Amino acid sequence: MTKQEAFEKFIVPIGPQHPALKEPGHFEFVVDGEIVTGAAIRLGYVHRGIEKGVESRNWTQNIYMLERVCGICSHIHATAYTLGVEQLANVTVPPRAQAIRTLVSELERIHSHLLWLGVAAHEGGFDTLFMFSWRDRETVMDLLETISGNRVHYSTNILGGVKIDLDEEKITAIRKGMDFLEERTHHYLKVINTDETFLGRTRGVGTMSSQQAEELSAVGPTARASGVPRDLRIDAPYAAYPEFPVRLMLSNEGDLHARFVVRMNECLEAYRLIREILDHLPEGELTVRMPRRIPEGETISRVEAPRGELAYFIKSAGGDKPDRIKIRTPSLCNWGTITSVAVGHKLADMPMLLAGIDPCFSCNDRMVRVNRANQPQLWSWEDLRLYGIEYYR
Amino acid sequence: MNTALTLLLLLIFPGGLFLLGSGMAYEWVDRKLVARFQNRIGPRWFQPLADMVKLLAKEEITPQGVHKGLFIALPVVALAGALTAALYVPLIGFKPSFSFPGDLVVTLYLLSMMSLCMGLAGANTVNRFSLVGATRTLTQLFSYEAPFLLAMLGPAIVTGSWQINQINAQAGNTWWFILTQPIGFLVALVGLMGKLELPPFDAPEAETEIVSGALTEYSGRGLALFRLGKDAELVIGLTLVAAFYLGGLANPLEFLLKTLGLLVVMAGLQSLFARLRIDQTVGLWWRIGALLALAQLLVLIIL
Repeated sequence: MTKQEAFEKFIVPIGPQHPALKEPGHFEFVVDGEIVTGAAIRLGYVHRGIEKGVESRNWTQNIYMLERVCGICSHIHATAYTLGVEQLANVTVPPRAQAIRTLVSELERIHSHLLWLGVAAHEGGFDTLFMFSWRDRETVMDLLETISGNRVHYSTNILGGVKIDLDEEKITAIRKGMDFLEERTHHYLKVINTDETFLGRTRGVGTMSSQQAEELSAVGPTARASGVPRDLRIDAPYAAYPEFPVRLMLSNEGDLHARFVVRMNECLEAYRLIREILDHLPEGELTVRMPRRIPEGETISRVEAPRGELAYFIKSAGGDKPDRIKIRTPSLCNWGTITSVAVGHKLADMPMLLAGIDPCFSCNDRMVRVNRANQPQLWSWEDLRLYGIEYYR
Repeated sequence: MNTALTLLLLLIFPGGLFLLGSGMAYEWVDRKLVARFQNRIGPRWFQPLADMVKLLAKEEITPQGVHKGLFIALPVVALAGALTAALYVPLIGFKPSFSFPGDLVVTLYLLSMMSLCMGLAGANTVNRFSLVGATRTLTQLFSYEAPFLLAMLGPAIVTGSWQINQINAQAGNTWWFILTQPIGFLVALVGLMGKLELPPFDAPEAETEIVSGALTEYSGRGLALFRLGKDAELVIGLTLVAAFYLGGLANPLEFLLKTLGLLVVMAGLQSLFARLRIDQTVGLWWRIGALLALAQLLVLIIL
């Protein structure tokens, strides 16, 4: 590349290490002054080989393995997996277990959305909102610790049910937490809707029409903020959602502000749903017996993670280990919306735009094929093994 | 004036050590206040000093592709500018060390050295974050400088003097200028925040976009000097605004109360807003700040 061309293309690289990123990813923004004229994304820095790893572990071990796909939405991964395996084994889980699963996944949604609110505010330089929302997030983290013993990987699910139960004390604690959080969320909604400087950074930024969202197959709150009615809890209810229906939160604006509003409204909806579940918690057993070997077959299990639709493809060959598990995480679907929407915006909007889809890097890392000087480099399993041996010699 | 006294003025008080010490103390107050407003604990009282000692002890890396002399000289010039400016302002409520008619303009220019040096420092490197940061620093310089200057001229015109010392003395004799010229006070205070690149005017060093802006390539000594210069500028800026708009500074107690009061207001403003984009900053200053300051100046001249 000649020097002249280098000047014409001024690329601002963000990542893999950058203060705006909490996880490694690489983004290249071609800028003309402050205006972004092109954007490219490269992922693959935290590939962990989980899909391969689950093939050598048995069905029970895999719950804990798959929970570690994501640190924020850990419960929903285990839920998707257990629902799929139970379907393969043709087992019906008791209603109380389903209700508790739903309750924990809604608590997790609250925790995820509040975390996102803080991160997005920080990207926009609004650190006060960041600190306050994370302080309040501690409430829901503490609740999760109270009921499951863990703050991050709750390990609530087991095959055929759940392993935690709710007693009166815990129910009271959850109700109290919900009251506090509801009040705070109303306050945040007010800040989001009225703060002039904040509106200046969010309103009309990264606007995506519903048609665009459809074409780019956006999922979750990102799609709902663009007016695409897409929510698996309503479209294909699972666990206890048929008994406890949720309301769809939609916005037609499609900009960053709409994403804030949709996520906060989903929090409010989650408080309502949790109270309803606690009011009508079914009595009964927590688990049913599961066979150690899952009958041969394959299934697709879809759930609504905090970031959108999460799909598991599970194939069993009849043994005590899965034959193949394929995970399609929601963040992967939403990346396309950034590259197409970024062009024409200011460089200063990029961090918020990136944060706007609530990206989760490690859960969408796939094997990537790097074209270096037009020569794709492909390594077989044996090559990798030899490289590893050579590297650590 | 004998040489020993001059040296004392330059090196110990008010120019050298004292200003550095008070600069770090004010930085701590600022950080602590913002932290408390944000529901955090905040740093311990010696944290700015500890940061400085650490930075001075660190290796200084001169990156490839820079003009080496400029890279080393710019932090020194920036700090020197800020320290020199201290000689003309009534620090601690004492009379300025040096004073001559028109020193207001000189002081304001000396205070702008910092932004200029930072802009040059950023443009000197080949780092992309630095280049974008430098562009933003200079853009911001052009946007806040004029309204800030206009705001400072208000009291000068009313007192009929361009000498900081005299304005300070006269400000105490009449109504506080904050009452008679509220717009000027606001513009001056917010202008000071823009000068110091404090939130919400921290687009030039927005860490989530361009890491550390113009200073991305600086480490060790250079960074320490830039930060010290900024701390000194914080004290001088607060002193100026307090002397002009809050009825002058006649004794150390007044100095402490008035400047710290201003700092509380500034810390509050820092934690209230989301960061402005650079185009929003420019728009705010030229569409609102400059016009308001000009309108007030016209009113003052006509009256």
